[in-house]
Amino acid sequence: MKKIKIPLLTGLLALTASDFLQAKQVTAWVIDGESERQYFVQMEKDFNEKFAGQDVSLKIQPIPSYDDAIRAAWMSNDLPDVVMVDGPNMANYIWSGMLQPIGNMLDKEVLEQILPGVRAQGTYSPDNKIYMLSQGDSSVLLWGNKKYLDKAGIVAPQTIEDAWDYDQFTEVLKKLSKVDGVKWPLDFKLGNGGEWNTYGYYPFIKSAGGDIINQKTWKADGTINSKETKSAINKMKSWIDSGYIVPATAGDNRFFGDKTAALSWVGNWMWRSHSQALGDDLVLIPAPRFGEHSYAPNGGWGWAVPSSSNNTKDITTFLNFVLSADQVAKWSTATGYIPARRDSIKMTPMFAEGGKAEMLALQAQEIAVVRPVHPAYPVITSEFGKALKNIFEGADIDTALNRAAMAIDDDIEDNMNYPPFDK
Amino acid sequence: MKSYKRFLPEVGMLLPAIILMVVFIFIPFFLSGYFSFTNERLMPRPIPTQWIGLRNYERILADSEFWMSVKNTLYFAIVVIPIQLSLSLASAILLNSKLKFIAVFRGITILPILTPITVIVVIWAAIFQTPDGLLNGIYQWLTGTYDYIDWLGDETIAMLSIVILSIWASFPFQMLIYLAGLQEIPKDRYEAAEIDGFNKWQQFRYITFPGLRNTNIFVVIITTIGALSLFTQVNILTGGGPNGSTTTIIQYMFSNGFSSQKIGYASAVSVIFFITVASLGLLQRRLMRNE
Repeated sequence: MKKIKIPLLTGLLALTASDFLQAKQVTAWVIDGESERQYFVQMEKDFNEKFAGQDVSLKIQPIPSYDDAIRAAWMSNDLPDVVMVDGPNMANYIWSGMLQPIGNMLDKEVLEQILPGVRAQGTYSPDNKIYMLSQGDSSVLLWGNKKYLDKAGIVAPQTIEDAWDYDQFTEVLKKLSKVDGVKWPLDFKLGNGGEWNTYGYYPFIKSAGGDIINQKTWKADGTINSKETKSAINKMKSWIDSGYIVPATAGDNRFFGDKTAALSWVGNWMWRSHSQALGDDLVLIPAPRFGEHSYAPNGGWGWAVPSSSNNTKDITTFLNFVLSADQVAKWSTATGYIPARRDSIKMTPMFAEGGKAEMLALQAQEIAVVRPVHPAYPVITSEFGKALKNIFEGADIDTALNRAAMAIDDDIEDNMNYPPFDK
Repeated sequence: MKSYKRFLPEVGMLLPAIILMVVFIFIPFFLSGYFSFTNERLMPRPIPTQWIGLRNYERILADSEFWMSVKNTLYFAIVVIPIQLSLSLASAILLNSKLKFIAVFRGITILPILTPITVIVVIWAAIFQTPDGLLNGIYQWLTGTYDYIDWLGDETIAMLSIVILSIWASFPFQMLIYLAGLQEIPKDRYEAAEIDGFNKWQQFRYITFPGLRNTNIFVVIITTIGALSLFTQVNILTGGGPNGSTTTIIQYMFSNGFSSQKIGYASAVSVIFFITVASLGLLQRRLMRNE
């Protein structure tokens, strides 16, 4: 009933922002989190030591409630030189005019080394320019409990090429369901909700040849409710119906807590919990495929430059520093995300060849699939996520997807087809 | 002129409250009325906001999901209000007696409203957990089987689970108001009734209940409004599921206005919600006045 505008916060930020306007200082607003904070403190120190002779310094500002803060600062024209943007929000910000392209500022070496999925996430299709690059990438795969796999006589694939197809994987679930101690073969994270519903399950739809919006015409109807998309959703639903999946209401820790689930479909951020709980029993299995190729989710926070920033020379120095092999490797070590550069992966023992989490890095390099980069993404993901949740919980698939198609296309129409995407 | 000056300090003292009211209640209220006729978006955009007349309202009223959320919200209110009020009144009467340590019991009873609702919800998520939460443990012990109920995952009982949790979480508020109302009733009425040979039930029926008339009007209206604004519990526990069986009007507004960033659309929902709640409130007042 009541909505609150944000002039107060903006005013507050205006006060602090005026302090940064000295020449030759690059100010970067960063997300605030425990593991990130340590990295940023170190990074600021590294930068200021390295460039002490060149009359440029870096100031890092951790900002709580990050998205609200940058939106407010943008409206009052108080954005710093460099900001961080979460992948799915990027297109929305570019469309609003908040960001400028950064491709020309980056060294050739950065662009050569960066992972294709990370580059695709930061590329805006209307002008095909890069607006954002991440230091790390996320990925999702099957985590397995070797004890149960051995009992069921299952040999897990070791490479992406050998990834299970749908029938093989369903057979695996069936075998696991009969193993003593396994209550549910797979924790599919049905209870996660929010962005996970698109992030976590979109790769299966892509793998089956479907999509949630036509990425040429930007119409949802005919794609989100296409035969391919529906078949992928029905395939996942059949696991739920067979009782292979941990119910949404059974909590989050069946795989690594009481170990009543044999497999878990979840991302790299669970590494620590899983490896601590399972130790040597933990195996990493590549994402299964529904069609020709398997795909895995990707995405994360990246560096971007507001259109209001004009200190191009120093920002260029900063971007190439922060995206250097060394810094990317350090970011990965601090946060547990996959290094966004090929050479940094080699420098990080955990993700390098033979490393314990190598499969995550392989997936990020080879089969990462980017969610649609379009300013209507908030509507697309919210409507698709809701429809998928309802279908998993028993709703009619045609009704749910047709409704989502209509809601998405209505929004696109309301925004005059999001020019320049209307071409 | 003199009388004008006399009011200055009073106006000065009222001003902060008035400014806050205007900025945070009146302006957003009228803005959302205006937005409901436009295609306003949460994020700024390079194209102008357009006046689209009644299109938002047409879409809302044609959306089956909206009607589902209306149905769920009304169901919730109709179940919650009588149970919660009876419970509040009963516990208020119990706590109004002159037992030893009554202050301690009162303190214990109001604990739920001293706890933030998000914390309560997380605790209840563990209680409701499938298949081995506390509630299922009790159920299995009572039935002597290994059967379990998916409290939040079963379409037919998810809303009832939300009802149970919501009543527990908020009944002490109404109880406190009833308690205050009970203490307003003069003691000599009960003494006179006792002399006349009234039993406890008759005392309740002919003294306590009529004595709480004004309290009742207030409590019923406030509980109705609270019940119709159901959101937090649902948003954290079920996200509106399973299969839409616990979506509510506020949740529908949240999902459209915040997740999908369609502020114009969500404003139209809020206008419809406002009209519904206001007319229900007026209706209740009218009915109870005439009693």
